[in-house]
Parts: sequence; C-alpha cells; structure tokens
Amino acid sequence: MSAMAYIAVSFLVVPLVIIIIINLIQRDFAKKICIYLAGASAAIQMASSAVEFFMLSANRLHEYRFTLLWNMEEDAEHFGVTSLSLVVMFCIGFVSFISALIALRTIDKRKIYYVNLLMTLVLGMNGMVIVTDLFSLYVFLEIVGISSFVLIALFRSETGLEGAFKYLVMSALASIFILTGLSLIFMQTGSLLYSKIGSNILIAEDGTKQTLAYVALIFLISGFAVKTGAVPFHSWLPDAHQSADTAVSILLSGIVIKVAGVYSFIVLTDLFKNVPAINTVLAILGILSIITGALLALRQTHFKRIAAYSSVSQMGYILLGLSTGSTLGLVGVVAHIFNHATFKSALFANAAALHEQTGTLDIDEMGGLQSRMPVTGFSNIAAFLSTAGIPPFAGFWSKLLIIMALWNRGFRVFAGIALFSSILTAAYYLRLQKKVFFGKLPDKYADLKEIGGTVRFAEIILTVVIIAAGVCFPLALLYLKGRGIL
Amino acid sequence: MLSAISSFLNNGANIIWFVIVLPAVLGVAARLSGKRYAARLVISMLSGAVNLLFAMSLYLSEGFYVVIPFASHGLDIALNINGYSAMFLAFTAAGFLLVSLYSVVFLKGESYAGLFMLYLNISLAMINGALLSDNLGIMLFFWEGLLCTLFGMLLINNRQDPKAAVKALVLSGTADLLLMLGIIITVYQAGTPYVSQMQKLPVTGIAGIGFVCMMLGAVGKAGALPFHTWIPEAAGGAPTPFLAAFPGMLEKFLGIYLAVRIATDIYDLQPGSGMSIAVMALGTLTIIVGVAMALIQKDMKRLLAYHAVSQVGYMVLGIGTALPVGIIGGIFHMLNNTAYKSCLFMTAGSIAKQTGTTDLRKIGGLAKHMPVTAACFIISGLAIAGVPPFSGFFSKEIVFDAALESNVVFYAGALLGAFMTAVSFLKMGRAAFAGGLKLPEDANNSQEPGLIRVRESGFGLLLPMCVLAVPSILFGVANTWPLDGLVSPALGYTESFSGWPHSAVLIIISLAVLALAVCDHIYGSRKSGSAINAADHIHYAPVLRSIYTAAEKGWFDPYNWIIRIVGAWSAFCMFIERGVTWFYDVAVPGAAKGAGNLLHRIDNGSLSLYLAAAVAGVGIVVVIFLAV
Repeated sequence: MSAMAYIAVSFLVVPLVIIIIINLIQRDFAKKICIYLAGASAAIQMASSAVEFFMLSANRLHEYRFTLLWNMEEDAEHFGVTSLSLVVMFCIGFVSFISALIALRTIDKRKIYYVNLLMTLVLGMNGMVIVTDLFSLYVFLEIVGISSFVLIALFRSETGLEGAFKYLVMSALASIFILTGLSLIFMQTGSLLYSKIGSNILIAEDGTKQTLAYVALIFLISGFAVKTGAVPFHSWLPDAHQSADTAVSILLSGIVIKVAGVYSFIVLTDLFKNVPAINTVLAILGILSIITGALLALRQTHFKRIAAYSSVSQMGYILLGLSTGSTLGLVGVVAHIFNHATFKSALFANAAALHEQTGTLDIDEMGGLQSRMPVTGFSNIAAFLSTAGIPPFAGFWSKLLIIMALWNRGFRVFAGIALFSSILTAAYYLRLQKKVFFGKLPDKYADLKEIGGTVRFAEIILTVVIIAAGVCFPLALLYLKGRGIL
Repeated sequence: MLSAISSFLNNGANIIWFVIVLPAVLGVAARLSGKRYAARLVISMLSGAVNLLFAMSLYLSEGFYVVIPFASHGLDIALNINGYSAMFLAFTAAGFLLVSLYSVVFLKGESYAGLFMLYLNISLAMINGALLSDNLGIMLFFWEGLLCTLFGMLLINNRQDPKAAVKALVLSGTADLLLMLGIIITVYQAGTPYVSQMQKLPVTGIAGIGFVCMMLGAVGKAGALPFHTWIPEAAGGAPTPFLAAFPGMLEKFLGIYLAVRIATDIYDLQPGSGMSIAVMALGTLTIIVGVAMALIQKDMKRLLAYHAVSQVGYMVLGIGTALPVGIIGGIFHMLNNTAYKSCLFMTAGSIAKQTGTTDLRKIGGLAKHMPVTAACFIISGLAIAGVPPFSGFFSKEIVFDAALESNVVFYAGALLGAFMTAVSFLKMGRAAFAGGLKLPEDANNSQEPGLIRVRESGFGLLLPMCVLAVPSILFGVANTWPLDGLVSPALGYTESFSGWPHSAVLIIISLAVLALAVCDHIYGSRKSGSAINAADHIHYAPVLRSIYTAAEKGWFDPYNWIIRIVGAWSAFCMFIERGVTWFYDVAVPGAAKGAGNLLHRIDNGSLSLYLAAAVAGVGIVVVIFLAV
C-alpha cells in the first residue's frame, strides 16, 4: 500500500483506534486523557487530509480509490477520496478539534462517553464522504444520526432529552424517506453504486419519464432536507442545537448538518446532473431557509438558538449554491462549508465562554460585556461580520461566489434575494452583539472576567482563521484556477 | 540684461520655479516676518520687483513654449509665453508691485498682515500660472487656486461673520464650475487641451454650450453679471487693499485675458452672430445694473465696488462685438480701468485710514486736508466718468464705436451707463471732498471731538496711488503708445486705433451726456439740498423706487436664488430622507418583526406540527417536480 492509501485508511482507522484505546485502558486515567486523545485524533485528521489533498493534486488525480480490510467483490475498491471530500474531511477535523477544546472546559462528567460518541460521529462523517455507493452513505448517515441523538441527550437535561427526541423522530422520518428513495432507485438499476446511477435512469427506454425514479428523487431530497435542516424541514434543528452541551452544539451546527445534509445533496446533484426540477427545488428550499431562518433568528432571545436559526439561514445559501449545478457554485458551496464551520464554531465557542462566565445564555439578561470580555466580543464581531458577508472576512468570498454562480445560472431574482438577505443576517447578529456586548453592564456582572484556557485559545484560533481565510481567499481562487477547476 | 534673464527662464523648468513658485515662497517668507514690518516691506517689494523684472524680460523676449511632462499625457504643464500672455503678465506684475506696497503700508500693525501678504503672493503665483498655461486643465488648476486665496483673504478678519466670504466662494465657485464645464466641453470638442493647437471652434451646437460656459466663467471672474454680487458684499468687511488688488485689478486682468482668448483663439466668434449679441447684451446689462446700484450707494467702498462691476460691462461689450476695434477697446478699457479703479479704492482706503469710515454721510470736505488723495480721486474720477482727455474717455469711445457698429441698442445702453457713472462720481466726489470739513464723531479716538486734525496719508500709501493716477492722464493724452505700441501688436492687429475718435458725432454725444449728468447733479443737489443725496430723485423715482427696493432686498441677487434653490432642494431631500428613514426604521423592521412573530407562533415546539411541516415540505417538493 502506498502512503496515500495509508492516509486514506487512517480516516476510518484512527477514530476506531481511539475508541478502543480509551475503553481498554484504566478508567480514571482514560478520563484524564480521553479529550486530549480526541483532540489529537482531530489534529491528525486535519494534517492527513491536508497532506492527502496535496498528494492528490501533485499526482493530478481526480479521485483516489482504495479498499479497507474487506473486499466484497474481486478488485472492487469501494472507497474513494476526491479533493472535495478531503476539504470536507479537513473541516470535520477542524470542528472536532474546536469541540474538543471547548469540551475540556464545559464537560465535567461523562467525558469518556463524549469522546466515544465524538469518535463514532467522526467515523460516521468520514465514512459518508469516502463511500462510493448510496447504501453505504445511508449506513454512515445513520451512524452520524444515532451518535448525534445520544450526544444531545447525554447530559440528561430535560431540554436535552426533548431536543434529542425531536431530532430522533424527524430523523426517523428522514430515514424512511431516504430508504424508500433508495429502494425505488435500486428497483430501477439493481445497483446503488455511484457509477451506476445517473440522469439516464430518469428516462425510460421508450423516452417517457420514469415516474418511479422521480418519486425516488422526491423522497431522497426530502430526507436529505430534513438532515440539512432546510425550511420547512428545519423545526427539529433549533431545539436540538440549543439544548445540547455547547461542545456538542459546535459539532452539530458546525459540521454534522453539513456532512449529513449538504454532502448528501452534493452527491445527489453530482449523480443527477442537469435535472431542472432538482435545481429548482434546491433553490426554493434555499431561499425559504435563508429568509425564514433569518426572520426567526431576529426574534430569539437565546444565544445558541439565534446561532441555530442562523445555521438554517446559512444552509439556505449553501443549497442556493448547489442549485446552480455549476463548478463555480460548487466551489462557493465548499468555501461556505468551510467558512460556516469557522464562524459558527466561533459563535458557539463564544456561547460557551458566555455560559461559563455568566451562567446564562439569555441575551436579555446580558449587556455591556465588551469591557469585561474583550476577546469574546471581538471574536463575536469577526464571526458575525463573516456570516453577514462583509469584506474582507471569509464569508464575503463564499457568498460572493454563490451569488455570482446564481447570476450566471440565470437565477437573477434569487441572487438579488440572497444579496439582500445579508442585511437580515447583519440585523440579527447586530441585535445579538448589541444586547450582549454593548450597552450598560448589569451590576451582577461587575466583577466578571474574560474566559481563559482552551476556550479563549479556541476563540483566538477561530478569529485568526476567519480573518486569515478572508485575506488569503484570493490565493485559493488562484490555486483553483491554476488547477483548471475554475 | 533682460534678454539674458528671459533666456535663463527659458531653460528647463526655471520658469516654473521663478515665475510661479518663487512668489509663493516669498509669500511664506512674508508670513514669517511676523511683527517685523520692515522685513515684510522688503520681502514684498523684493517679490514684486523680481516678478516685474521677470515679466518685463518675458514681454520683451520673442516668446517661447515650455513643456514639462507631468503625471500623464494631457496633463503636461505647457506654458506658452507669447506677446499676448506676456503682456498680461507684465500688467499683473506692475499692478502687483503697487498693490503690494500699498497693502504692506496699509496693514502696518495689523495682526493679519503677514497672512494677507502670503495670500496675495500665492495669488500672484496662481495668476502667473493661469496666464502662462497653454493647457486648459492646468490653467483651471491655477484658476481654482485663486478661489482659495480669495476665500482666505475674505475670511481673514471676518472669521466671526464669514457671510461675504461664503458668498464669494459660492458665486465664484459657481462661475468656476461653469468654466470647468466649459473647458471639459471645449477640450472634448477640440480634441486637445492645448490652446495653441486648437483650431478656432465654431460657436454652434455643443461647442456653443462650451463657449457660453467658458465665457460666463471668465467674465464672472472679472466681475460681470450674474456672479458679481459678492463684490459689494465684500466691500463692507474686507481690507481695502483686497478691494484694490482683487476686484479692482488682478481679477480683471485674469478674466479679460481669458475672455479675449475664448473669443479669438479658442472659439471663432463672428461679429453680428447670435452669440456675439448675447455677450454684448450681457456686457450692457452689467454696465447698467452695476452703475444703477452704484448710484444709490452712500458708502464709498460699496459704491466703488458696484462701479467695479459696471466697468467690466464695457470690456465685455467690447469683446462681445468680436470686432478688432471692440477687442482692442475692451483690453484698453481694462488697462485704464484697473489703473483708475485701483487708485479709487486706494483713495477710499486712505480716507478710511484717516477718518475711520468711508460712509459718505459721515464725512465731507476732505479736499483741503488730504490734497493728494483728493487730486488722485479727481483724476481717476474724471477718467472713469469719461471726461476728455483722460484715459477712460478714449477707451470708452473705442468701445462705443464698436458697439455702434454692431447695434445701436448697445450703444444707447452704454451711454446710459456713462451718464449714471458721471452722476454717481459727481455725487461721491462732492460729498467726500467739497464743502466744509465733516468727520464721524468718534474718529481717531480724539480726546476733543470736533478738533480732530485730519492729515494726509503717509508716503507709502500715496506713492502707489499717485503712480496709478499717472496712466489715467498719460493713456489719455498720449494714447498712441498703449494702443498701437502695446495692445494691438500683442493681438497681432496692424490697424491703428490711437488718437482722437474719428467720428466727431460720437464725441459730441458723449460730451452732451456728460453735460446732462452735470445738470442732473445740480438739479438733484438743489432738490435734496445736499450733494450726498443728489441721486435721490432717481432712486425714488416712481417705478425705479420699487425696483431699487427689491434690489436692496436682494431679490435680484443670484446668490439668494442659489441659496433658496439649495434650501428648497434640501427640503425636498429631507422629505425623501424622512420617507427612506421611515422605511428603514419603521416599515422594514416592522415587517421583519411581524413575520418573525408569525413564524415563531407556528414554530411552537409541537412535534406533530413539525411532522406536518415536514410532510408539507414533501408536498412542496412534489409540486415543484410536477411544475418543472
């Protein structure tokens, strides 16, 4: 096996090994080191995905196929990594790393459970992006879903259980949709390999439309939309994201909805290219999500709930980018996945900091915290400016690419709506910023201190990444141009 | 020696350093002189003298063309030193030397004297630059620079009440804006910013608009309608040397210089064409409006300021004829006018210095006590009134001649102007200098009121005054040199315009007008009982009375129009702004909040509702699939 193969295999093996290690070693010792191990695993994933990415581009490969342990068929390599999946993998590693940093501070009990589930979650997400058939995708999707329910419910708060239950019910619905869709497609093709599925299955041999295939698409889209949290399938998302521990919320909002939902959509749009119905559905779901998410965020008083509705709104942008079906749109989507991972992680890291220091996340009870928590305040400003798409922050570039792609695709009205919705984004985050960090400091917070330790470290890292990614983004575009992608 | 200097200036960028930068540097030196009066005097004289030397050497040289590459193509600093520009350079230099001397002496002991001299010297630099620029864009730079110094000088001792300065800035700025617009159109039409490369554009179509804009900008700088009203306003508060220097002299040079260039070099203004008639009408209107307002003034400085406006009318009228005789007459009149008008402003300053006021109602009978000032005033007054054989008579006759050749209406208008000029000067001269001594009660802070000894001004003030009175006589009795030796060759005309007017009828009519003015003055002073009120019977004549009242209220003042338009515009913008603010502050957040509340009510945490929403979502997807 070559170096590329070792690295590729490590994406699945490392989380498994970590799980085995922490459950084998002595329990008290495991409690001490388990989160560090998780962080190390995340760091390894970041490094290996970066290395793999550059090896891939150095070898001028579009995709690298490999097998793992078993072979179902002779010479069948059922796993593969592409540049896109490696970027997603890097994001998974990055958000897991931040989650581990926050968890060091926020999670006191059940650390081993957290790490076990985190590793399972990472394994599930990694699996989703490296598989090459729809059924394996579904299996890993279920792994992700189940790890998520337990992570939300892990800390046994009442709201946590409620959120987890809602997520469970909605995910069950999604599973039904997805499984039904898959079985209908299997009826058509007899295989669920990506290579066997394409737009051609939509048309019967006599040239008429293959109704069952379209029904399958409707089910698949609905199921993935539930996982993405797109309006009107979004309702579980704020409850689930708000009620979980912040270290878990970071994972859910920062990466899970994007891998479970958006990556599935990426696969779907890649398989079924140039199907106008899919594009239109994605565009309309995107617009609905952007506007509804923003309007609902404007109304909330809970810090994490605002961030959660903001996720709904931002998923809308990503769906809009996907709806274009163009390379430019896809680049915008991937960039926005990365940017959303950074700024949403930053917001939840700030939420963790605020919750640790003030004991609440109700923004009506806060005020004037900028003077007491300057690092958190600045990190929050950077995150919300990036979300609103203000240059030179990173979010500006990805939104710009998405809007440009929409414009080129001919979705001019959608481009306009997407552009003007940035004002709504700015509005709800300004409200948040104003209520939390500006204004008069309540007396009870007079001797409040800035958070220290790993949470502050995470905030600083994320702020630096948001600004640096924004400033260096043109370099990434030049790189893509050099590789002939754009 | 002069040719050595001119060849020195023709070397590289020397001309920029020594003719444009040097005055500004010496101005800084004058500013730094602080309270040292002698140092300021020496620096100012040095600046004026050196500049005069350079200007004379350039005038006597054969002329040359300097191009100094700058920024980008089309913005080269191209200086064209030819007979015409060098002549104006020499005029400016000579006038500047006298005004500079007068200013330093007049402002002795004033805290702002150094700053004033700085502005004055920078103005000289700007004027030199504008006169020599061949590139219209670069010329505009210098031209606008003059606006800055103008504003600064008006602000200098009126910081608490900057109304006059703001008015000057608005009106001159509007004129300059028009000039800029005109230059843009002209350069676009001509395809080159260099005047020397322009092929006399015909004054039609878009080029006609360019002509009108440029001409309005040029004569506006000289003080013609409709951008004149800041001059009388400034006469109230600005230091007298400013009036002598700017409205009296330097702005006339610059404005008329450009007006003639526009009419002869840049555009092809045809005699008798519509545009020519329009310019002549503007000139005639300026004459009449200016002098009519001058007639009723009771303050020397304001009266002279209105005359400064009125006199421009003759020059514009002359240039507007587009006939050689008219253009020569216009320039000759400008030359005479700057001499006697500056001299008159200086006499007003001299009186203000000694008595503390220029209000004609408070002073009188100064002739005995200030004989030199009185003599200068009388000579200049006779010149401006157009009494032969003083200089103003000859230049006016040439303009009359040209006007008559074009249209008798303009001739009649100009004659009316001449009549009122004579009337107002008889009134002013008699009120200020004749009769028994009358002084303001608090003049000179005398311990014993009524026993004040009014003395003649010092040598430093009298010298420039007397020097400026000389051309009023000399250019009259011996007008061959200025006309045939100076102005005509500079414009390349070979005809002779010197000597007495060839038409005896014109002379007789002019003399009759003067006689009429004397009669009117006698009638007026008999009727009202004093010289100062000698024009009251015109002021309060049935129809004129209401016109004058309206004029004094500022109804005809374009500044007030501009301000009113600006006010209305801001009110309109405010209305729009309110609507926009309402939209932002009330409508949009209200709609967002309302929608948010509605969605929030739907999003109430009920799982069954969530499932229903998801199923509805599937419905939406189905509908879209069916629709597409």
